[in-house]
Amino acid sequence: MNLPLAARFGGRQARAVGVSLAAVLGSAAVAAVLVATMGLSLADGVAAFADGAWGSAYALGASVNRALALALVGLGFIVAQRANLTNVGGEGQIAIGGMVAAAFALNPHVAALPLGLAFALPMLAAATAGAAWGALAGFLKARSGTNEVISTLLLSFIAVWMLYGSVQSPALLRQPMTSSSTLPESLPIPESTQLPLLGADLGLPLHVGLPVGIALALGVAWVLRRSVVGVQLRAIGLNPQAARRAGIRITAATVGVMAVAGAFGGLAGAMMLQGEQWVLKAGFSSGYGFDGLVVGLLARGSTIGVVAAAMLFGFLRSGGINMEMVAAVPTALVVVMQGLIIVAIAGASVAFEGRRAVP
Amino acid sequence: MAGVAAPAAPWRVPDSTPVAPGPGAAPAATPPLLHIDGIGKRFGALQALGDVSLSLRRGEVHGLLGENGAGKSTLCNIVFGIHAPDAGALSVDGAPYRPKDPADALRHRIAMVHQHFSLVDDLPVVDNLLLGQARGVLRRREYADRIADLSRRYGLGLEPFKRIDELTVGERQRVEIVKCLMREPRLLVLDEPTAVLLPEEIRSLLQLCRQVASEGCGIVLVTHKLAEIREVAQRATVLRGGRVVARSDAPDREIDDLVRAMIGRTAGERAGGAGSECSRATPAPAPANRPAADPALMLDGIGVRDADGVERVSNFTLTVEPGEIVAVAGVEGNGQSELGAVIAGMRPPTSGRWFVGGREVTRATPRELTQVGVGVVPEDRHAVGCVLEMSVAENLFLDQLHRYRRHGALDRTRLERDAADLMQRFDVRAKGPGAPFASLSGGNQQKAVLARELTRRPLRFLLAAHPTRGLDVGAVEAVYDHVRSARAQGVGVLLISSELDELLGVADRLVVMYRGRLMGTCPAEPAERERIGGWMAGHAA
Repeated sequence: MNLPLAARFGGRQARAVGVSLAAVLGSAAVAAVLVATMGLSLADGVAAFADGAWGSAYALGASVNRALALALVGLGFIVAQRANLTNVGGEGQIAIGGMVAAAFALNPHVAALPLGLAFALPMLAAATAGAAWGALAGFLKARSGTNEVISTLLLSFIAVWMLYGSVQSPALLRQPMTSSSTLPESLPIPESTQLPLLGADLGLPLHVGLPVGIALALGVAWVLRRSVVGVQLRAIGLNPQAARRAGIRITAATVGVMAVAGAFGGLAGAMMLQGEQWVLKAGFSSGYGFDGLVVGLLARGSTIGVVAAAMLFGFLRSGGINMEMVAAVPTALVVVMQGLIIVAIAGASVAFEGRRAVP
Repeated sequence: MAGVAAPAAPWRVPDSTPVAPGPGAAPAATPPLLHIDGIGKRFGALQALGDVSLSLRRGEVHGLLGENGAGKSTLCNIVFGIHAPDAGALSVDGAPYRPKDPADALRHRIAMVHQHFSLVDDLPVVDNLLLGQARGVLRRREYADRIADLSRRYGLGLEPFKRIDELTVGERQRVEIVKCLMREPRLLVLDEPTAVLLPEEIRSLLQLCRQVASEGCGIVLVTHKLAEIREVAQRATVLRGGRVVARSDAPDREIDDLVRAMIGRTAGERAGGAGSECSRATPAPAPANRPAADPALMLDGIGVRDADGVERVSNFTLTVEPGEIVAVAGVEGNGQSELGAVIAGMRPPTSGRWFVGGREVTRATPRELTQVGVGVVPEDRHAVGCVLEMSVAENLFLDQLHRYRRHGALDRTRLERDAADLMQRFDVRAKGPGAPFASLSGGNQQKAVLARELTRRPLRFLLAAHPTRGLDVGAVEAVYDHVRSARAQGVGVLLISSELDELLGVADRLVVMYRGRLMGTCPAEPAERERIGGWMAGHAA
């Protein structure tokens, strides 16, 4: 701690940024080559991508909202990661959050609540339900050592199918069946439960979830870097035996940290429903949980890393969708690019740190 | 040395009269099977081996004795090509031998069974043996026949098509041995093969050793159990601190000398000797002075069974009064680790009860033990005592971080100031309180752990398990000075170590553990050395 800032952050941090930039640019170049070999116009593709990612106020807002959901899942991931727990259950936690938020928002009593409670309560309920879903995996881990990678993944499948079931059943969340063509999805949630927009006049679809997300990111950064709990989680992650001997409650920490990760996922689900989609349908989580997991992995424990990776992936997704619609470039290309970025960054870190780890 | 033409050296059964296979008996012209000449090996600051020489004849079982950390495994790993020596040379059957890697060692027909098995649990025995040996087409049938042959020949009772996870630990070890035997080795290295075995399995393993040796193979048997050496070894070498401290051509008759060599007898070399007299000049406050006080520690019939149901500690009863240092002596692996784990709160005993300051803590968590005033210097500093990647300050207050909370955040300024104080008091040398714990030398790490454990309030009782292992002489003295000052403050101390001289130098009373039992209690006086040595070797008083 007495070291000058430059010495602590200088080399490693700078290199991490450099590696990430190189990975992004490199994979963009590979993607460009792929577009060209497919016989499509590179210029059209790039223009469509830029247009979709940040070309209009709407596009910009949509990209940021995507990034927000990814960042929330990523934040939960790095909290759990600090205690050496890997939460791969973001997808299911989003589904649970979306489902619970929809159930609350569609309740007329909730929709009638004053003072913004109409939209806040579903969010809180979704976070709580996500926390319970995550805590379940934590409890299994603490109680009988069940690997949390497997339990969170399997719990994800359960949650995703539960959501599917809930929008299929009129007794649950499915909209009233007026004809045989009524889609298996919920009614749109009432306006009072939708997240208020911040820049409606500018045509930016940004909602109050954004400041909430920023506050949470700052909170996570503070907890991990400055709080007693942050140090204790680190001790658990690095040497659980020594942490136990030092009287740190490992069981409570394991359950708690997985609950936090789940709460972040649940909240992401609520924001996706109440901020953008307004209707709960099958396929609601559509891979955000897994992209969020990748965001968390790429961030390597850093909050800033989560924000950066989430932005990158959010813009990539938005641009990719537009690229397919306008320039006939398949979205799969964006997935290829994501993959290349992951491999490049992970490979670079292995190359740099793997070598150092050899005695 | 025993000639190549006479491979079947007479090996011994437990109580056979010694048949002299002595080095002088055979013609000296033929080179030994394995000759190790002045091997040295250094790992960073640690001199793991220094000038170690050893030679082994065909058909000989050679016992390699020593405490943990004495360098036995390092020596084996050098023979098997895992480590390259820094100094010295090896030869096999007279030809220079310098293995590049284990595969190279195997090509020289030198095989090793490691302490930890490398078997695939889900595969049958035969597939495990095929792994790494078969090329091209898998001739499973042929291998199975060979396994069955070997199993019959050596009475191993192995079924080739049984899955590994259906086998007992002893059977798994026999699979590892068969893996070696299929290569028709001329030298077999067994690294602590009996540590994991039940008594009857040990007997059959030793029988196997005899048979394999009788066919001309040389065997290096690493152990710290003396009974095994007495039973099968024709010769023995004792390592201590990386050096050869004793050799015996008749270990069955010289077992007591070997014990003494293993645990160290040279007074003055260690903290014991002269230092012990000084410490005794200021005797501990006699427990009788404060009859009203509850004992610092009371173990009442503690028993510990491991996961396999083997009893590691049995009916262990011991009392430590406030202001008393009680030493637990014994050859390692006689239940001391399990006893230490119970007292550290890392596992509950399977039977019996125990108390600290009169309060029952039989099933207390480490956190609760800290609250009643138990300090623990754990046996494995790195695994339990500290978090290497974290700073010295964080490690010093890992259990008290909640006291350094300011506006909710961890007050690092105050934490590091207090850490710097503590580091000065306990002479912990580091770049600063923020330095990573891993950057400290072993001695300073141990002083830091002591600093944490001895400054707990309340502190009624301290468990120090091997507190001086791996430390240099200066650090050893410092550690014991701190332990003595804790005693002066009325703390009861239980000191577990295999360094008898150190124990005699610092403790008030000494008990000996052998096979999980308390063999005897005596004042920690050098005059008791013979009696203690006997207990350690398993002779009842």
